[in-house]
Amino acid sequence: MATYLEFIQQNEERDGVRFSWNVWPSSRLEATRMVVPLACLLTPLKERPDLPPVQYEPVLCSRPTCKAVLNPLCQVDYRAKLWACNFCFQRNQFPPAYGGISEVNQPAELMPQFSTIEYVIQRGAQSPLIFLYVVDTCLEEDDLQALKESLQMSLSLLPPDALVGLITFGRMVQVHELSCEGISKSYVFRGTKDLTAKQIQDMLGLTKPAMPMQQARPAQPQEHPFASSRFLQPVHKIDMNLTDLLGELQRDPWPVTQGKRPLRSTGVALSIAVGLLEGTFPNTGARIMLFTGGPPTQGPGMVVGDELKIPIRSWHDIEKDNARFMKKATKHYEMLANRTAANGHCIDIYACALDQTGLLEMKCCANLTGGYMVMGDSFNTSLFKQTFQRIFTKDFNGDFRMAFGATLDVKTSRELKIAGAIGPCVSLNVKGPCVSENLGVGGTSQWKICGLDPTSTLGIYFEVVNQHNTPIPQGGRGAIQFVTHYQHSSTQRRIRVTTIARNWADVQSQLRHIEAAFDQEAAAVLMARLGVFRAESEEGPDVLRWLDRQLIRLCQKFGQYNKEDPTSFRLSDSFSLYPQFMFHLRRSPFLQVFNNSPDESSYYRHHFARQDLTQSLIMIQPILYSYSFHGPPEPVLLDSSSILADRILLMDTFFQIVIYLGETIAQWRKAGYQDMPEYENFKHLLQAPLDDAQEILQARFPMPRYINTEHGGSQARFLLSKVNPSQTHNNLYAWGQETGAPILTDDVSLQVFMDHLKKLAVSSAC
Amino acid sequence: MAELYVKPGNKERGWNDPPQFSYGLQTQAGGPRRSLLTKRVAAPQDGSPRVPASETSPGPPPMGPPPPSSKAPRSPPVGSGPASGVEPTSFPVESEAVMEDVLRPLEQALEDCRGHTRQVCDDISRRLALLQEQWAGGKLSIPVKKRMALLVQELSSHRWDAADDIHRSLMVDHVTEVSQWMVGVKRLIAEKRSLFSEEAANEEKSAATAEKNHTIPGFQQAS
Repeated sequence: MATYLEFIQQNEERDGVRFSWNVWPSSRLEATRMVVPLACLLTPLKERPDLPPVQYEPVLCSRPTCKAVLNPLCQVDYRAKLWACNFCFQRNQFPPAYGGISEVNQPAELMPQFSTIEYVIQRGAQSPLIFLYVVDTCLEEDDLQALKESLQMSLSLLPPDALVGLITFGRMVQVHELSCEGISKSYVFRGTKDLTAKQIQDMLGLTKPAMPMQQARPAQPQEHPFASSRFLQPVHKIDMNLTDLLGELQRDPWPVTQGKRPLRSTGVALSIAVGLLEGTFPNTGARIMLFTGGPPTQGPGMVVGDELKIPIRSWHDIEKDNARFMKKATKHYEMLANRTAANGHCIDIYACALDQTGLLEMKCCANLTGGYMVMGDSFNTSLFKQTFQRIFTKDFNGDFRMAFGATLDVKTSRELKIAGAIGPCVSLNVKGPCVSENLGVGGTSQWKICGLDPTSTLGIYFEVVNQHNTPIPQGGRGAIQFVTHYQHSSTQRRIRVTTIARNWADVQSQLRHIEAAFDQEAAAVLMARLGVFRAESEEGPDVLRWLDRQLIRLCQKFGQYNKEDPTSFRLSDSFSLYPQFMFHLRRSPFLQVFNNSPDESSYYRHHFARQDLTQSLIMIQPILYSYSFHGPPEPVLLDSSSILADRILLMDTFFQIVIYLGETIAQWRKAGYQDMPEYENFKHLLQAPLDDAQEILQARFPMPRYINTEHGGSQARFLLSKVNPSQTHNNLYAWGQETGAPILTDDVSLQVFMDHLKKLAVSSAC
Repeated sequence: MAELYVKPGNKERGWNDPPQFSYGLQTQAGGPRRSLLTKRVAAPQDGSPRVPASETSPGPPPMGPPPPSSKAPRSPPVGSGPASGVEPTSFPVESEAVMEDVLRPLEQALEDCRGHTRQVCDDISRRLALLQEQWAGGKLSIPVKKRMALLVQELSSHRWDAADDIHRSLMVDHVTEVSQWMVGVKRLIAEKRSLFSEEAANEEKSAATAEKNHTIPGFQQAS
């Protein structure tokens, strides 16, 4: 359906929204029968270079329980200067400034092309951005050196008026007092004992003592509220001293004996960082950036002991309930994460080590606050250095892409309720008329996203509440408004408002319409997010069973078939890719923890729960392109039959870019044909996938791993494990002619999966 | 001005470490990029894998060389960034940047800023000395020296943003060589910039007062 694809794409480009269904079922009962919930992926700060913000504040509905923003769906009486809220039907008077509006002189927010619009808030002090570095010193010498250099480099990338601070930790935790003159001082804390926020603030001298002599006068803050503290100073003042301070950092001096891990007090270090910011700069944009080279081994939040002979927990250990420290450590970091989110700050984790570092226990710090999680092998790698640099990338206006302190408020028309959200957010517990059951982070119509950027995407799930046989509401359209308040990196406060509407339809009479308006890509990602969310608390096999069940029900409802005849089964175009997505999702590292450590699984899930639709789909079903002499590069099936001797394959899994040379190509390369002038086209062929890979590598955050391999190479396993194994050692000779490369696996292939699916869908027993 | 190159990643520390892009290449990538490779192929509904219409090699190698270029050469598919491996250091025609040409303007700029706090100036001075030491000792690579010469030129022409950008590109691409003293240069640019805008503001003010004093004779100024 070409027109619906265009419609979907246009809406995504303009509003940053993709719905699973673009024509909505008009009754609750019918909606549940459609299997895939009515839900959307929302990218609140989608980059809109063509949308300059307006320099005034939004006009709100006057009903206290509504407060929706004036939008193109509202009815307007230009003569009486009144507008009717499309959500609650309240009639509102326009403010005096709108006295001159008319049909031919509309304010931007009433024009349909401004379904998404951004307002700049003029009033209120603008606070600078804050960056607090929390640095592990139990690193190898060259790792520490590389990290120090990256931090020094970052001082050149930060805006001059941003505040910056430094906490280092190993066995002890050191909070560095930043001053421009004299000897550098620091406060040292033991890494074994956790402290309350108040204790930390007292010990750092952040609380003003009572002044018994001056009882008549109330205690005045001596400084402007946004002045720096001794521990957080503006970059333009402190950069030289901080550069020196960083340059002089040494490895943790406590000796580590043979067979032991260094004592690392990550839990206390983070706790102090959170307490420091809580006491000095609550409710303003700040990033706590944790750089760590190994697991926490001491104090609250420790993930493993210091004996090397006891390894850090694996999935097997967790399943057998053999992970001693996990529950307590997770609880510690969850407490910190919730406090940080309440303060409006975010926590990033940069973990570079060959072994696990405790990302499983610490993941809530990044996931609840919207902070980043970066996982690498060493700080002395291009993967870390460039990923870290990319945090400070500027947009087309020369501003940082990062934004802070966002609150997302969702309003719906009466026939809908909000079930919940899944993404890098916390609930603000705002109950209201449009809040329903819990799904994901539910029970609220408002969420807080403390750290976000133009790709941050939330999955928001709705419920149709209209009773069966209630006539379709007048006007035939339902509406949803997304209002995001946030702190822009230029320190301005802004409000982004997106208001969308979609038609209601009666499922019985208009099933074809509803089918045609199904967005299988969005549906796949939204279902996947639900599955991954479940996987955090349920057993793996249960999640897979649930996912399979939903897929079978969807096929039963929307497939065309004759009962009990699997060969007759067909899906229309708008559903044709969906089973494939589900097949690959079942095999993905988000739902299959086999072959990944708990830290790796946490890392992959972290990125899956926040990326936009295109990148999320790449993660579910990697992209595979083929390069050959037979024509221009083309997408090919992610299947073993696509692996051929005379082709080069480029696979993008989001986390890895793999270039694979087929057997013949590899031999030609080895023979050096690319260096001979008469075979220049071969040189071009070899170069083409490298150029395309470079385009991806240049832009993606986090930087993917880069694998350049060939037939028979050990690293070819990255490709072989992802492709559908249509040809295995089991069925090799069944196809007759040998095409493609057999995969040595017992995994089910897509063909077998589809056969089973069709059998179950057409069976009346299900 | 900024160099555009790609270096391989650190294969010793990470065997699948991605290549490293220079600052110039990374800043080029501003704004939303078109997602080139996002198409998928639907699996055939009848279940058999599609056998592609290309040749398959029937047996062990060799099977002959690739098709020679006498066939119409197929150009690379997408207009993408410069090919990897562009050498940044081959400028045989240009003479190497001269140390004095770089240090003298920096020292001069420092002198101009002496009005500011002593501590800051001492710090900057210390770092300039370090720069001189490293340069004279041959510890700085040619690209660093070249870009420093450019930076100084921009600074002398009062193009603060350009100078700042060069300092950033040096910090990103050559942090190991420059980190000890570059922050001093950065501060110097900032100090010169603020000094310059102060002077410009003062000039404007004095011009405005001069104008104000030009009253029409006999005309009473309303108070």
